[in-house]
Amino acid sequence: MKSPAAERRRPTPWDAVVALAVIAFAVVLIVLLRPTQGSAITAVVTLDGEPVAQYRLDQVTQPETLTVDEAPYPLTISIEPGRICIDHSDCPSQDCVNTGWISRSGQQIICLPNRLVISLSGSEDEEFDAVTG
Amino acid sequence: MKRFLPFLLSIVLLAGCTPQQAATEPAQVQFFAMDTLMSIRVYNEGGEDAVQAARQEVERLDKLLSRTDADSTISALNSHAGDGTMVSLEPEVTQLLSFAKSVSELLPGDFDITIAPVMDAWGFTTEERHVPSEEALSAAMALVDSSLLTVDESASAARLERAGMEVDLGAIAKGFTAAQAEAVLRENGATSALLDLGGNVTAIGSKLDGTAWQVAVKDPQNTDEALCVLSLTDQTASTSGGYERYFEEDGVTYHHIIDPKTGYPADSGLRSVTVISSNHMLADALSTALFVAGPEEALDFWRSRDDFELVLCTDDNRVIVTEGLEAGYRPAGEDRGYTYEIARR
Repeated sequence: MKSPAAERRRPTPWDAVVALAVIAFAVVLIVLLRPTQGSAITAVVTLDGEPVAQYRLDQVTQPETLTVDEAPYPLTISIEPGRICIDHSDCPSQDCVNTGWISRSGQQIICLPNRLVISLSGSEDEEFDAVTG
Repeated sequence: MKRFLPFLLSIVLLAGCTPQQAATEPAQVQFFAMDTLMSIRVYNEGGEDAVQAARQEVERLDKLLSRTDADSTISALNSHAGDGTMVSLEPEVTQLLSFAKSVSELLPGDFDITIAPVMDAWGFTTEERHVPSEEALSAAMALVDSSLLTVDESASAARLERAGMEVDLGAIAKGFTAAQAEAVLRENGATSALLDLGGNVTAIGSKLDGTAWQVAVKDPQNTDEALCVLSLTDQTASTSGGYERYFEEDGVTYHHIIDPKTGYPADSGLRSVTVISSNHMLADALSTALFVAGPEEALDFWRSRDDFELVLCTDDNRVIVTEGLEAGYRPAGEDRGYTYEIARR
């Protein structure tokens, strides 16, 4: 027993409507499901748990510096497109300066004597949940 | 209408594809304790209370175990060194001291919690780092001997037998704290959580989707990158390396892991050691001890036991992974010149 639709050989205007609706819906889905920002990366600088500055590293165009004078050992942070580092610190250990540039979501620079942390977070999925070392 | 039904159905089904981010946001806290940065994350529902309770536990232990806090239990023990007093300690601290002594006995010369005077001589405690004079170093070395730490577990007391001796729990306190914090987290309903105590990562349970936690091991030469990635469930990964706390003097780099045999930074052929164990305290202690011991002794010790696994990164860029990790690990540093090998029993 064949259905009436199967007997018809030529497409009707309704078929065109369905086809167009599917295409339109597909376009809407592509827009909706697209990640908001492919490589959004945010650096947050905290001093003893309090945020002191925040940068969207993917939107930085000119190199800039931030001086944190209120830290126990004043330090200077360099911000460049896509990356950030502690350029100079008066702290005795210098571990923070030695860390160098960081640029990926999940990375941190820690200045223990200052209790200062620079943390990177981003919209991209990280490949792992934690880092040992 | 028949024609539209599949279309409508497909719309309904596709709605399920929307990214759900809110559900994966963990309850978390980040804070400084034990001279390092710590973070606690609980992923299952209602983790806020567990996170706060665990933080309080970490801060309580910090007060107990800190050598630089004059009011701590450990400071009391140190201040009575050589005067014959058995210092009363909390039972958990006594157990910790006993465990540290047992590691010193298992790996003679590679691990000693009475190394504190030597750490001070190098300025690694006060943060003014420098190469000590020969006299200062030999005076400090004369005070390093954990067999002169007497521990009485039944009386919950301990004594340092020689004046000037000091205990520093830096190589073991984080692992001990991880175990205590895990217990508190579980009491408060946490079943899927991650503890990061200054680079010692403790995986509690598994991820919410039931898969293992993915924990990267830092590349010691390029801390921006991963050496490899491990799959962990109910285990701690503890790493020791010379790359995080160090200083340079006259063009020579000196790191903070002191060999108790020489009084100088350990130079055993390793860049880093990562120990993976379900015994958090063991993982912490062994990462330091086996970094001092070197690759051959580390692997011999691993072959003699079955309660931990290793990732060793050698000076000549070999990454040795013990066979128990083989199934869940993936190398990540081949393009930086590392070669990977599996160690077998």
